[in-house]
Amino acid sequence: MNSATHQVTPEEVMAFLDGELSSARAQSVFEHVKHCADCASLAAELGNTQRQLATWRVDALPSRVESAVFERLDQQNAPLRKATWKWIGVRPLLTVSGVAAALVIGFLFATVSGRSYRANMYMEPRPASQSVAALGGGTTPRQVSSKSKAIAEYETLLRAKQQLAMRSSLELESAGRGEGDGNGPIDEDGRATADFHQPMIARTVSLTIVTKDFPASRAQLDAILARYHGYAAQLTANNAENRARSITASLRVPASELPAAISALKNLGHLESESQSGEEVTQQHADLVARLKNASETETRLQAILQQRTGKVADVLAVEQEIARVRGEIEQMQAEQKALEHRVDFSTIELNLTEEYKAQLDGSSPSVSTRMHNALVNGFDHAAESLLGLLLFFMEAGPILLLWSAVLFLPAFFLIRRYRRAATAS
Amino acid sequence: MQEALPAIVLSSEAKSITMNDEPAQTEANPEFCKASDERLMLAFSQGSTEAFAELFVRYKQPLYGFFRRRLGDPARAEELTQETFLVVLRSASRYEPRALFRTYLYAIGFKILRAHRHRAVLRATILGLQKPDQMASVREAHDANLTVREALSKLQSIEREILLLREFEQLSYSEIADLLRLPVNTVRSRLFRARATLRDILAAPAPQAAPAKLTESEEHA
Repeated sequence: MNSATHQVTPEEVMAFLDGELSSARAQSVFEHVKHCADCASLAAELGNTQRQLATWRVDALPSRVESAVFERLDQQNAPLRKATWKWIGVRPLLTVSGVAAALVIGFLFATVSGRSYRANMYMEPRPASQSVAALGGGTTPRQVSSKSKAIAEYETLLRAKQQLAMRSSLELESAGRGEGDGNGPIDEDGRATADFHQPMIARTVSLTIVTKDFPASRAQLDAILARYHGYAAQLTANNAENRARSITASLRVPASELPAAISALKNLGHLESESQSGEEVTQQHADLVARLKNASETETRLQAILQQRTGKVADVLAVEQEIARVRGEIEQMQAEQKALEHRVDFSTIELNLTEEYKAQLDGSSPSVSTRMHNALVNGFDHAAESLLGLLLFFMEAGPILLLWSAVLFLPAFFLIRRYRRAATAS
Repeated sequence: MQEALPAIVLSSEAKSITMNDEPAQTEANPEFCKASDERLMLAFSQGSTEAFAELFVRYKQPLYGFFRRRLGDPARAEELTQETFLVVLRSASRYEPRALFRTYLYAIGFKILRAHRHRAVLRATILGLQKPDQMASVREAHDANLTVREALSKLQSIEREILLLREFEQLSYSEIADLLRLPVNTVRSRLFRARATLRDILAAPAPQAAPAKLTESEEHA
């Protein structure tokens, strides 16, 4: 039987017997089988085989399986009626519990870290609470209820900080008027006092501008800096050929002139991005002033000791060394204070000015053949490097790989052979 | 030419004979007796124990036959039958009637069978080849189905699986294809090859030698 003499394949005869053909095709196969002895014979043989297979019967399923299954069914249904929470299942319960635990831990962490942050922000934790009580905050931690303890502590710290700042400012003012020893940073013009009442903020602005006329924008930038009394702390100009020119600059402009300067800079071209940020340095400045005052007082006391007391030369030298050390600290702190105030007085503008580049044809680029040659040489170099790297790797790791291969070969061989035997034969 | 019609009639007769594993009729709730398998499973997923009881009655014997014909050990076949029904119990809440329940059930059974075979092979690999089950061979010596089983054992494993799924589980070609992840045409051609091979084996005169022991080889096939 072949397809040349038969329009119906043996597989189709089988599919017809199995009822797997469409009705139209089944009809045509049926007509064919009725008139074809070969196909009829095949159908009969398949039928005989099927009948022989059908003699293979299995015994009945023991009733214990049914008992076991329905016992499990009862166990599964019982909790359904009694406790609905079990219906939820173990995995979702674990997930919910995990999320809840994570939330609680996160809340506790946020509370604790927030409290310690506030305490660190204003003063040292334990001395601060003691000084609060000493300053007459009116509420000690023991007097407040546990529920509002955190809020009360925070408010107390805030009041203490304000009182401390006022006291420091008064001292600084008196020192500025010459009531002190007239030494060091205390004889400033009282600006530190004002800084305690108004926050000291170091502003930073980032601008990214694209300009069509780069030389004109460059000139305008210089004019803006001159007009608003600013200067360029750092400026890098990139004038490479066949590429967009650009300027990356860090500009410093008086804080009072910052809005006007930003507006002027925006007119240089198309503004692509802008971001502004401010860092409050009030506390940092206050700490610095307090430390400076303490250091000045120390220096004054040391000088008094040096003038009023007499002693051995070694003691005198030790006092002088201590005075020199304190003086060094004072000067360092003065420099930090000035830098801090400068950051506040002069805002920073990070400017990125880029030319809107238009590519131009020029004959300076290398020819196609040269570029292909270079690419080929580079490719060869890279291939050689890669091959060398592979070789070096095998030289380095080869011995250990060989060793482990030798060790593991026999066990692996026997294991695989055993697995294959088990899979194919008993 | 006239031989064709009897052949077809014989074929349908044979199919009726293979129905010894057909779902049994129950005397329970008449409403459930008329319901389709899929409707029963949906009812069970909504909490109807009677629906599951009806499904169990319908499929306990076919499913046991499914395992029994593939495993030499009847106790193991019972165990896997029970495990399959327990899986159905556990996964009832997730059931979606995207296919026939019969296909769904046999797919579960097939996965369990495959896992069992895999475990058996690993166990044999690690612990060594198991000795033939003497009791099983004695039992099989009196087995009237020995000829058929012996003939089936000579088929390729995939062809034997397709043939068993078609002849005893009564799955359609497309259901077999889904279950075994094969193209339908491949299923058809392999089924034909399996039937032709089986026909030749059964038609050949029986050898005088002692019957082969068909125990674990069938399990691993």
